[in-house]
Amino acid sequence: MIEVIDLHKTYGRGTAATRALNGISLSVRPGEFVAIMGRSGSGKSTLLHILGLLDSPTRGQFFVQGKDMLKLTETERSRFRLEEFGYVFQEYSLLPGMSILENVCVPAIGLGKGNNIKKRATDLLQVVGLGERLKHQPGEVSGGEQQRAAIARALINRPGILFADEPTASLDVTSSRVVLELFRKLNKELGQTIVMVTHEPDDRQYVDRVVWLKDGLVATEDGRPQLNSVSDAA
Amino acid sequence: MGDLKLAVFLAYKTIFKGNRWALVLIVTVMSLSFANLLLTPSILLGVTDTINRQQVETVYGDIVVDPPSDDYYLNGANEIAEAVSQVPGVVGVAPRLTGSALIEYEWREKDTVLDKGTSGTWSVVGIDPVSEADVTTISQNIVEGSYLDASDRDALLLGIEIAGGEKAETAAFQTLQGATVGDRVRLTYANGVQREYTVKGIFYARESRADRTAFVTRAEMASVLGRTVYSDRASQILVNVGDSAAGNEVIEAIRALGIAGEVRSWRDYSGAMAGVVSSFDMVAGLITGIGLVVAGIVMFIVVYINVIHSRRHIGILRAIGIKRDVIIGSYLMQALFYAVMGIVLGGLAFGFGVQTYFDYHPLDLSMGLVTLALQPTIIRDAVIGLIAAAALAGLVPVLSITRQGIIHAIWGN
Repeated sequence: MIEVIDLHKTYGRGTAATRALNGISLSVRPGEFVAIMGRSGSGKSTLLHILGLLDSPTRGQFFVQGKDMLKLTETERSRFRLEEFGYVFQEYSLLPGMSILENVCVPAIGLGKGNNIKKRATDLLQVVGLGERLKHQPGEVSGGEQQRAAIARALINRPGILFADEPTASLDVTSSRVVLELFRKLNKELGQTIVMVTHEPDDRQYVDRVVWLKDGLVATEDGRPQLNSVSDAA
Repeated sequence: MGDLKLAVFLAYKTIFKGNRWALVLIVTVMSLSFANLLLTPSILLGVTDTINRQQVETVYGDIVVDPPSDDYYLNGANEIAEAVSQVPGVVGVAPRLTGSALIEYEWREKDTVLDKGTSGTWSVVGIDPVSEADVTTISQNIVEGSYLDASDRDALLLGIEIAGGEKAETAAFQTLQGATVGDRVRLTYANGVQREYTVKGIFYARESRADRTAFVTRAEMASVLGRTVYSDRASQILVNVGDSAAGNEVIEAIRALGIAGEVRSWRDYSGAMAGVVSSFDMVAGLITGIGLVVAGIVMFIVVYINVIHSRRHIGILRAIGIKRDVIIGSYLMQALFYAVMGIVLGGLAFGFGVQTYFDYHPLDLSMGLVTLALQPTIIRDAVIGLIAAAALAGLVPVLSITRQGIIHAIWGN
């Protein structure tokens, strides 16, 4: 489903250049729940941003369902993000001035599909346990509930792949567990493909596979070292 | 359709469910800017209107019938006045017999004949008091004493700038230095005739030429010039067409009477003042233009800050796949909403507040009482200016932000 080959990303130029990705290659199969882990600065967020079409690599190849993502126009990238991808951010990313329900509806209105957007959004919010919070404003619910609402928003257009960038980083232990169990449920029961960046070692128990990054390279996959840096990465 | 619906939805939510203080601030700035765009040109136009009106009401009337180019006087003036008064649209006709005279005050106190004393040479105009009141406002501008009667022969009216005194703007030495009602003055006309008159009234027309004129009755002026010759002559006949917009048609109709004279609009006589008015209009245009630019910049800054403040939200919208055009459209709608609200509220505040205030409390300037002269072109320019500035203020920052990387827009790094 996702195929990344020799992906590089460099920020800045000349002596100020910082190499965030140094030639990453990996693939994600449909229905897989993959965690990307690594120390701060290892390139995991950069990789996720590129996979989610929020950023572009300096060079390399990137395919989703056989389609070359690096050849898409800006409009096509927007369309892909809207139709095929769902994205859950590290920090609370709900739009102020809109209720929880309206936040979830926004991508569906953008897609212009169907007349039952509100019903679908309500159903999704029921699934993530926010059936009683539909009319609440983002500031009126807890951080965990905001993240669950963001997950519902990411799923409203039934995306092929759900990207999550440290979705539990701002949450307490209980809320984190709720969010991760929700991901696992979506993955196991609905076959949702999920790629999640996390720095919490305990999160490994929820995923099918872990990709460890170090210095912009894949250090290990599934616990099998590619470089001699497993202990560093852990 | 989905794009438009979403753009409207996002704009609506941002405006009405966002920061209410920001909404109040932006709409207030827009309203004040719009009111200011109306106020400045309206005042300046009010000034030029007043200058023009004063000329019409105190010096020329709307139309002037002059003698033929080869004659000093209109012959058969009474018959001409009667014929002109019958022309449709004419509401008043005033024949005038114009001369000039040395006017002396307290001349008896002069030591010698060669002593200048308190005197000066000014225009003296003979009028028919009743018909003059149908054309000019001299009769309404008496500040001391009373207006002339048709039978007055030894009485005259002095303009304030001839009489002098505290209310006069002219330097004292150029006036009679405080001649008042009841005082006697001596006039020596250009033909050598010398007569004494009692000052019956002093008028303040707020028009410099009118206020430097003395009025006697036309019969008196005819007797000075030679009764048998001048009783049916006039130097000019002033015509009042009231509020009629058909001034040119009336001019044509008067010309069609075949009068032995020249028929012209008051504008043909206001050369010097026309230059002043024209300069004023140019300055007004300049100030209005600057006002528009300043208002535009103020609005730009306010809307710009509002959009920049929303940078993270714009980034999130793009990250979840909302098209650039939809986001731009929503912010353009917001900017236009602010502009329309500013136009409506600013217009109401101007119409019911500022304009009403000026109607009851006109500016008391030297050329007259100035009220606001709001013209459709002023409103049109202000509306276009405000909408253009708002659209620009909404578009430029959102275009800039949507061209940034999504990550940069969200996290600013």
